[in-house]
Amino acid sequence: MAVTTDRRLLEPWQDPKAPPYLRIDRVTKRFGDLYAVDDVSLNIFKGEFFSLLGSSGCGKSTLLRLLAGFEYPTSGRIFIDGVDVTDVPPYSRPVNMMFQSYALFPHMTVEQNVEFGLKQDRIPKKERQERVGEMLDLLKITELRKRRPDQLSGGQRQRVALARSLAKHPKLLLLDEPLGALDKRLRESTQFELVNLQERLGITFVTVTHDQEEAMTMSTRIAVMDAGQIMQVDTPTAIYEFPNCRFTAEFIGSVNLFEGKVIEREADQVLIEAHHGGTLRMRSFHPHPLGTPVTVAIRPEKMRLSEAPSPDGVNQLRGIVEDIAYLGDVSIYRIRSNGGQLVEMTLTNHQPRTEQALTWEQAVSVEWSPTSGVVLTE
Amino acid sequence: MKRRAWPLIGILAFGYAFLYVPILLLILYSFNESRLVTVWSGFSFKWYGALLHNHQLLDAAWLSIRIAATNATVAMVMGTLAANALVRHGRFRGRTGFELLLTAPLVMPDVIIGLSLLLLFVAMQQLIGWPTGRGFTTITIAHVTFSMAYVAVVVRSRLGQMDASLEEAAMDLGARPLGVYMRITLPLIAPALLSGWLLAFTLSLDDLVIASFVSGPGATTLPMVVYSSVRMGVSPQINALATLIVAVVALAVVIAGISLGRKPGR
Amino acid sequence: MSQSTRHHPKGRRRLSRLVNIGVPYFWLGLFFLLPFMIVLQISVAETALAQPPYTALWEWVADGLLQIQINLQNFMLIWEDDIYLAAFLNSLWVALICTLLCLLLGYPMAYAIATAAQRRRMLLLMLIVLPFWTSFLIRVYAWIGILNSNGLLNSFLLWLGIIDAPLQILHTQTAVYIGVVYSYLPFMILPLYANLTRLDPALLEAASDLGCRPLRAFFKVTLPLSKPGIIAGSMLVFIPVVGEFVIPDLLGGPSSLMVGKLLWTEFFSNQDWPLASALAIVLLAVLVVPFVLMQRLQQNMDEAAS
Repeated sequence: MAVTTDRRLLEPWQDPKAPPYLRIDRVTKRFGDLYAVDDVSLNIFKGEFFSLLGSSGCGKSTLLRLLAGFEYPTSGRIFIDGVDVTDVPPYSRPVNMMFQSYALFPHMTVEQNVEFGLKQDRIPKKERQERVGEMLDLLKITELRKRRPDQLSGGQRQRVALARSLAKHPKLLLLDEPLGALDKRLRESTQFELVNLQERLGITFVTVTHDQEEAMTMSTRIAVMDAGQIMQVDTPTAIYEFPNCRFTAEFIGSVNLFEGKVIEREADQVLIEAHHGGTLRMRSFHPHPLGTPVTVAIRPEKMRLSEAPSPDGVNQLRGIVEDIAYLGDVSIYRIRSNGGQLVEMTLTNHQPRTEQALTWEQAVSVEWSPTSGVVLTE
Repeated sequence: MKRRAWPLIGILAFGYAFLYVPILLLILYSFNESRLVTVWSGFSFKWYGALLHNHQLLDAAWLSIRIAATNATVAMVMGTLAANALVRHGRFRGRTGFELLLTAPLVMPDVIIGLSLLLLFVAMQQLIGWPTGRGFTTITIAHVTFSMAYVAVVVRSRLGQMDASLEEAAMDLGARPLGVYMRITLPLIAPALLSGWLLAFTLSLDDLVIASFVSGPGATTLPMVVYSSVRMGVSPQINALATLIVAVVALAVVIAGISLGRKPGR
Repeated sequence: MSQSTRHHPKGRRRLSRLVNIGVPYFWLGLFFLLPFMIVLQISVAETALAQPPYTALWEWVADGLLQIQINLQNFMLIWEDDIYLAAFLNSLWVALICTLLCLLLGYPMAYAIATAAQRRRMLLLMLIVLPFWTSFLIRVYAWIGILNSNGLLNSFLLWLGIIDAPLQILHTQTAVYIGVVYSYLPFMILPLYANLTRLDPALLEAASDLGCRPLRAFFKVTLPLSKPGIIAGSMLVFIPVVGEFVIPDLLGGPSSLMVGKLLWTEFFSNQDWPLASALAIVLLAVLVVPFVLMQRLQQNMDEAAS
């Protein structure tokens, strides 16, 4: 009992009675004939670090702008903390945004930038200065307070933008590609810092990103978007391990897809006849009728590679090594199965490369267990 | 293109010489003792002295400066509004007509603008009794009509270059639209407003044709005085005047250059 | 949904729209568009010894009877009298020649400035704009002293021994060409420069990488891509020059009659307001084609930019 309560506190989306903090209810945004956001419903809970993930043009930025109030939905409602904010203009919403370009006012100092939002709320000067001081301390930019944006580095600008958008203690902080303008090294350290900051302040974060690694590292949950629609909402682990459709499976990480149809059903397993030959045995809790066309999705690192097939193995595929890409920590092998399908797999390089046995044009066997992948119907 | 082509440099040099030699000659001969252009009979400030005692010219200059300043201010406001409309309000109804009306004065021959405005003022006076007589007001209106287009071009390009998310950020932080415009947009386009103002001022100060049409008795602007004396042939006083104008412009450029050079961070 | 549309917060932008679009639109409509209607009206009136010196277009003759009189004689006169036709043709000719001359001189200059080192570019460009800030009238006047028969150019040529007797340049068409090119050159150079700096240098590198020699690359890549700049600059020179008054008046002579000067004379010297109006209407009609061309180009460029 105690365990489940704990779990519900940490993962409120598991609790059907938990009230959503941000509720997006059947929101559609149309530009002419284009459905930028197409009938999206989404519940986000207090204290979440939520990511909207998708390639450019998938509608994630429009959804964020709808939350900020820069766009108004063609239909549907948006509620924050139980209040309908659909028609509330951006300057009256309890929401702040960190822009991709940071949008720091070039004619104001760092201090004035951070103070800007507080001034709009007519907060007394003394309190204002205290809060600005707090924010500058929090983001460790106190010594930059008198500088102007053009005298700051990219990383410093990002901190100022963050301080400015947090200064008003918004109910919701929207971040548009928060790490997009930083170089790779800085991005990695900032990811963890952002998560720490969010946990300390308890503010709900909604971020937009096209970078799956970034989304996976930082988020409590991820919504994968495509063509204005949400394809899957789940924790990073679930999204990676149990994609619910081909789009998510292919969008996040690499995946091998085997198409086929169900030929036999057992307790929690199905037998699938693959189009490229062979019979696959996979775990599945869905009651697929016999003959259903399905796709088996297996991540490259979940496969085993050997020179000869193990005698008792299931899901065995024979083929030859067509290509090897050495990446240092891992190597990627491309194997052409005897049925003609290209299979990609990743092996950790436990040994120095020179001592590895497998080489080009070698006949090999690929295997995986029934629990290593998922069976997709679309 | 690291290698510079010499013919290109030759043409460039010729072009600059073509643009500047006449002005330099004007300046040089403003210090000439003699009336004649070809004869150098000694260095003298006498034409500057004569200029300072030419009351007709000084009065006209004062009128022109007042008109130019009023025009520049009104044109700056009008041109900025028009630029806002074009950049901020997207595809509003009648946009094509709006743009047409705004671009046409840029290239419209002065004689047409001058004539048409005069006929308008005459008709208006007959119909509603305003404007009574012609002079400061009518010239200023005429100048605003064509110089606001120049301001709009300058401000429009600056507004277009501005990062739109700056205004959104201000609004996101709680500023209302008017507040956003006053505290973010205006400070950021201020340089464009200044150059628009100066441009409108210069255009007004420079205009002969339109002012000749829409002015009335007693309202003589500086170009009108210059024109009537130039028609008589070469006049060293005009050389002195030209030198003073060039000096003022050069001074303004130097000041602008220094203040730009001192700007923090580049 | 209809409910939410009605209370759409975009209504808050209505006031801003009204001011930003309405105020300049009203001003331009009243002081730019309406006057053309009046010019059109007066162009079909008759001259009269009156104040103002033309007849009314309509008159209330008796109870409710409106008599409208349209007089097309001014237009007939412009068509029939050779002097007007000649002036129009000469104006177009001068504008054409001067546009070509400006292009010939301005293009290499704009190109040289656009390809100059970054730190020199601003200075070179400013030197192009600078004369514009000094008085146009005075700059034209400067040429009187230079082109006079006893002016500086003739003295210089005589001194060099190239000519024996002073050349008559002032008060000829040549003087008009010189004056126009001198005054309008910056208007050609600026749009060309703006266009040429936007050109990606990688395009020329790609052309040379693919085996194109520099001169050929210029004609195959740079020149075609700078077409918008060429058209914009040409229109900025051509259109106003057709109606130019000051330059033909101060530098030109009897052989270089231009329509702007003719209109001025009809208006100020002959007090023939209807004929001046008719000239303005015809001039306007002539300029509509290049103007629409320019406008179309501008819109295309705006669309490409956004």
